[in-house]
Amino acid sequence: MEWSTDWGLRGRMAFTMFLLFALYLVFIAFLLETGMISMGGAIVFMGAFSFIQYYYSDKLALRSMGARTVEPDEAPELHRTIERLSQQADLPKPTVAIADTQVPNAFATGRNQRNATVCVTTGLLNTLNQDELDGVIAHELAHVKNRDVMVMTIASFLSTIAFFVVRWGWLFAGDDRNAPPVWVAIAVSLVIWMISFLLIRALSRYREFAADRGAASITGNPSALASALQRIDGRMDRVPSEDLRQEAEMNAFFIIPIRSGIIGKLASTHPSTERRIERLRDLERELETA
Amino acid sequence: MGLFETIRSVFGTNAESDATRAADPEDLFGMSTAYMTMEADLGYDHAGEAALCFSGVDSTAFADAVDEVEAILDAGEAETGTGFHQHTDDHGYRWFVLEDDDPEDLVTSVHFAADTFVESGFGSRLLAAVFGFETDDRRAYWIYSFRRGAYYPFVPTGSSDRDERVEFKLQSVLESELDVEDDESYWYPLWPDASGDHPWE
Repeated sequence: MEWSTDWGLRGRMAFTMFLLFALYLVFIAFLLETGMISMGGAIVFMGAFSFIQYYYSDKLALRSMGARTVEPDEAPELHRTIERLSQQADLPKPTVAIADTQVPNAFATGRNQRNATVCVTTGLLNTLNQDELDGVIAHELAHVKNRDVMVMTIASFLSTIAFFVVRWGWLFAGDDRNAPPVWVAIAVSLVIWMISFLLIRALSRYREFAADRGAASITGNPSALASALQRIDGRMDRVPSEDLRQEAEMNAFFIIPIRSGIIGKLASTHPSTERRIERLRDLERELETA
Repeated sequence: MGLFETIRSVFGTNAESDATRAADPEDLFGMSTAYMTMEADLGYDHAGEAALCFSGVDSTAFADAVDEVEAILDAGEAETGTGFHQHTDDHGYRWFVLEDDDPEDLVTSVHFAADTFVESGFGSRLLAAVFGFETDDRRAYWIYSFRRGAYYPFVPTGSSDRDERVEFKLQSVLESELDVEDDESYWYPLWPDASGDHPWE
């Protein structure tokens, strides 16, 4: 059982990464050229900060979600489901966590495959049937398998620094008369940050499509994931927004992000549910006609 | 991380390519000698049953593949007397369960069934081949993971506990003749639905 390669998706992903890389080169060249690299200390600091965030990604994510890890005797069925799917995905078993909220969602985190955690909400467990739950968990395992936490951390590193310059650059206004005024540095960093933000979000959306394909390969059942997405999406509309605000930061790791009217399509971390379902239907069709 | 794995990581296709990688059923023949060692060195009798566990695909082609495996096992039953039946467990995974008093025939039949899946293009759906052993007071299994291409021991005590001491003993004795998974985090249990049952009951 193999799907035909989605060259369009790979092409877009490669192109986005290329643009991001080129953009970062420009940024580095600019920092070197203007002597802003004297902020080296700050960059090292930011680097260390990013690394710590990456290293403790599993614990940080769980804490910010108010999730707790559960042992096999607390949630035997969930553990067995995750065990079977990890076995099929050729992954060591991840840590299992549950977040106590009625918002149906799931996320995976952790710096590598051995330190991965898969978290589901009680709302998800209550909303989905077994096949649909398999699909959602397989999607999260696909993120682990594809090393998405690492990829996204690397992709956003210099963007974080650009943001840092925008936010705190004025503190570094030096006495050097040959150096350009600090507002130039801030303006350039702002542009770099805005463009890289959009590129990173695009990359994130492509990774979602890739994880959906991965999930379909693991379960062999693309339509179950499609119906899970549809069901979660339907439930999301009815959830009161008070609950959602505090969870907004976690969006990037969710299977379906929380809706926000302000954030446009370009800035969203996930593709629209309609488009994801469409792609899954394509895979389903391929199963029957190939 | 090798070059190809790095490239697959960049494009986010690791999950897809590993989950669709076909299995290699040739390793199953290693069980023939393992059956003898288990009896001669460790005093384990074969349980007279072995099973093939696979996850389904929501497609007509897959249903056809399952029918074909059934036809092949039917033919085998007429020839060697190896009985079989199908089973679906609580997790929705499906099993072909084979019964024969001759371990050699069990190995051959499991291999036949697995090979048929591979030939029909569904080798990636094979999860495990499970070979049963027993002594007077316990049951033990050798599980072949098609995803890892390696064997590991599984000794359940009840329906959610395992005897790791015995498992390590089995590993150390059989290590020289079976390709045993050396990373224990991949020794996935296949719990029976009820204590004392086989995983496929």
